[in-house]
Amino acid sequence: MTTEPGRPGRKRPGADRPDLEGDREGHIEWRALVIRHARACGSDLSPSMVAELAAHLEDLYLTAVEDGASQVEARQAAEDALRRSPLDVLAAEIRRQARDPRVRSSDDLARAHERRSLAMLYAIRIAFRQFRTQPLFALLTVLVLGLGTGAAVTVYTVVDAVVLRPLPYRAPDRLVALWDSNAAKGLPHEPIAPVTFMDYRGLHAFSDAAAWWRPDVNLADPGLDPVRVKTVETSANLFAVLGVEPQLGGGFPQDGHLFSNDLAAVISAKLWRTRYGADRSIVGRQLKLNGSAFTVLGVMPDGFDYPGDIDVWERLSWNMAQHVREAHFMEAVARLRPGVDLNEARQEGIGLAGRLGRQFADSNGGWAYQFVPLLDDQLGYYRPALLVMFGAVGLLLVIGCLNVASLLLARALARDREVAVRVALGATRRQIVTQLLAESLVLSLAGIGAGLAFSAAALPIIVALTPVTIPRLSEAAISGRVLMFAMGVATTTTIGFGLVPGLVLLRRQLGSHLREGDRGTSRGSQRLYQALVVGEVALACALLMGSALLVRTVRQMTQAPSGVTADHVLLASVQLSGASYREWQKVADTQAVLLERIRQQPGVFAAGATIRLPFETGWRTAFFMNDVKPVQDTDAPQAQIMSVSDGYFEAMGARLVSGRFFSPQDTSHTQGVAIVNEAFVRRYAGGRAATDQRVTTAGQIGPLGVSLTAITLPDGYLKPQPAQIVGVVGDIPNAALGQPVEPTIYSPATQFPFRSMFFAVSARDETTAVMAVRRALHDVSPITPVGPTETWADRFGQRTAEPRVLMATLSAFGVLAAMLASLGVYGLFSWSVASRRRELAIRLTLGARPARIGALILEQGVLLVTIGLAGGWLVVHAARGPLATLLFQVSPNDPASTLTAAGLLMAASLAACLPAARRAMRVNPVEGLRSE
Amino acid sequence: MTPMTDAPEPSRPALDEAKRGSAELLILALVEGEDLHGYDIARQIELRSHGTLRFTLASLYATLYRMEARGWIRGRWIERSGQRRRRYYRLTETGRRVLAEQRHDWARFVTALNRVAGVRPA
Repeated sequence: MTTEPGRPGRKRPGADRPDLEGDREGHIEWRALVIRHARACGSDLSPSMVAELAAHLEDLYLTAVEDGASQVEARQAAEDALRRSPLDVLAAEIRRQARDPRVRSSDDLARAHERRSLAMLYAIRIAFRQFRTQPLFALLTVLVLGLGTGAAVTVYTVVDAVVLRPLPYRAPDRLVALWDSNAAKGLPHEPIAPVTFMDYRGLHAFSDAAAWWRPDVNLADPGLDPVRVKTVETSANLFAVLGVEPQLGGGFPQDGHLFSNDLAAVISAKLWRTRYGADRSIVGRQLKLNGSAFTVLGVMPDGFDYPGDIDVWERLSWNMAQHVREAHFMEAVARLRPGVDLNEARQEGIGLAGRLGRQFADSNGGWAYQFVPLLDDQLGYYRPALLVMFGAVGLLLVIGCLNVASLLLARALARDREVAVRVALGATRRQIVTQLLAESLVLSLAGIGAGLAFSAAALPIIVALTPVTIPRLSEAAISGRVLMFAMGVATTTTIGFGLVPGLVLLRRQLGSHLREGDRGTSRGSQRLYQALVVGEVALACALLMGSALLVRTVRQMTQAPSGVTADHVLLASVQLSGASYREWQKVADTQAVLLERIRQQPGVFAAGATIRLPFETGWRTAFFMNDVKPVQDTDAPQAQIMSVSDGYFEAMGARLVSGRFFSPQDTSHTQGVAIVNEAFVRRYAGGRAATDQRVTTAGQIGPLGVSLTAITLPDGYLKPQPAQIVGVVGDIPNAALGQPVEPTIYSPATQFPFRSMFFAVSARDETTAVMAVRRALHDVSPITPVGPTETWADRFGQRTAEPRVLMATLSAFGVLAAMLASLGVYGLFSWSVASRRRELAIRLTLGARPARIGALILEQGVLLVTIGLAGGWLVVHAARGPLATLLFQVSPNDPASTLTAAGLLMAASLAACLPAARRAMRVNPVEGLRSE
Repeated sequence: MTPMTDAPEPSRPALDEAKRGSAELLILALVEGEDLHGYDIARQIELRSHGTLRFTLASLYATLYRMEARGWIRGRWIERSGQRRRRYYRLTETGRRVLAEQRHDWARFVTALNRVAGVRPA
């Protein structure tokens, strides 16, 4: 100590003594004194305490000097004070505090936190070193976790974009879609009739409602090829109901009128950019739609294409209130009035349906109305499908996690001895758990990193390659929410994987430290391990059962009879519109000439046209047989009517039951003829030959089609004429998959033309057929564009595409899950046999036959897997609600699917038990006993 | 547990026990008014008790650390201008409550002593 005394009059020792500032040496000497004395007492003080005690001594010294002592005396006094202090008591007090978790000051906690962070970093370094020595284990774990999280993140991203994100409209949860349904006729989801729509629009529950229908529209611009554009003709309030405004132009005037005679249209941003080069002067210009000039009143925002892929919204040009109640062809959306919930709206709707059914029994009797939340309506099949897929991928992730957990548990149990040694060497519980947590943290983060990378790479591919059109799928991208989801998974897995084995180990350590021969046989940990594996088997079983149900569904769908043999037949949509085709006779003649020209092309075998393809519903109208008109219209039976050309049935490979198909000789100038299907004969022929009877149907289907054989009365009314039934055709499905075939009357297109038809061309190959249609159109009607073309097989395939995709995904998940579960079973039994070597050796020594030992292991395997299978069945049973909506003619409890899945899993699991059973049989009694 | 005093006079068990029990109260009361470092605390106790109460370094700091661990006081290294670095102790909210309780208890205790043994507060 080389300090000088402080100034006189000092109030506080240590204050106002610049002479001491920076005097490190003096300070260090006091510190050295303290440290020396502490060591002499056999204690070790922290630097902070040493500093505090040194400062105290310095103050004692300075005070003594100030009080008049010499420097030597003052120093002696300070040293005496130190000597009289048993510092071991202080050190003991500190140690006692460290042991007592209740008494920890925040300073200590902060320091401990720092120490723990360092300990964690150190533990992580050790974990890396361990995984380097066991790369296979680490790789397997990361792979399993990566697969699980990758699949989960990908599906979650899709679910988030498609299902969870609200629709981009104002208060989208207040929007509902309106549909008709008729339980008696087996029609769950039908378009609504315009007049009925107007009644529904008046419901108090709705603040407003809009309706539209989908005409086939050709768009012609000077200097550009004519194209078919997806169009709706909508009430003028559609955008107002949705709460969306055009990005350009004012849209349809909101003057309270739903329709106007002034033809006007709004176009999509896509059409505006691709066809008109984003020309802002498009607003106010005129577009030729089906030959009529529509004024463009606006361009919708990018991405808006409601109700689905629409390019042109025409304003309604007719009064919905003055239409008919029978014609179900409009779709509608309504906005719930503020304060009204969906159930109240439904109740009000049920009341109205009842009133309308009584008041207009012939048109509205039996019809009820469905109010479906708009998002559910738009997603349709995908909502339950994606939720099931999300559930499935969640199961897969859980299986992956259980698998990793059981791997880590087995590893931890195998490290029992290592841990015991560490504990014996003084490692604290916290250090052991920290080490295990560090290992699981490294594994989780690596696995989840791999999963995210996998997902980021896979998403664009999935979006690009998916064979089905999932609404809003293109918006799927890894977002903050998805990252949060992954972080949640990482946290859960880290804690689960690290803590559970850690706690198991510590519990074991409490009981036994370094006792020999006590490896891995603790009942608790074995139970835990078994439970993990049973869980894996249960979830894998649920996934396999789900995928088996989907496989059956797809098979049922593809095997549903289509009534035609037309896989390679090309279908092309052709619409004759515009001023040249105002005359119906011209339409009929041109179609006939077009078909004839197509048939003349080389390589074409047959060609025909129809207004509806198989599985599509024709127009339902009243009819009567043999000129016997019912007294009341309501007494007339109903059937679907369809126009088909001659050659259509032949091209599609339909079956002729009796009589003949249509021929070119059936024209508007000859006797009216009709063909009926078998369902019609069964229901209406009354046991007589159908071809001996006549049938009279509607003379006109709105503006879409007209009977040329009907007689126009002086008041403009078309009086339909009876048609002679000339043939009976085998049933071709004319309702949704799985619905019964409805009675149908086919008229020849030459006698009952429609402007928009599907041309069906059977040719050498698809290209030949497409070229034939193009050439014929070019020669006969160059202003008419060819609409979308595809083969019947493709079109039919689309009907099963959705369940097919789901089936493929679920099957992949199922197989993966079964593999993981088998791996888990393998691990469990390998560990179990290894840890029971001593017991097995004793059994063998006492005379048990090796075969009996093997059977014992297999029996245990069967028992565990059976419990797992039962659990899996329970999971499927719990999910049967959403599952049922995805299945077709298969029950969620389908025994074949259940047994197949259970059998497969049982076989795989037992195969996984076999190596362990064989090892058990080969335990050498002597070595087994010695090994412990 | 820790001897509180190093007074050279002969050991007087009753007084030792009372001192030990009162050490925490004294420290709490001292840091109630202002933040003090360890030497200040020891010196104030010694001065105010006219030398009756004295701490060894070990017992003083053991008590301080224990009280800090319980969250009654909180020590912070402070470097004031013109002064060497000292660890100052401040009363926490918990400490304030404990002080109030201890004052109450001691008051009752002294009153009881007074009534029973005729001991009067100095």
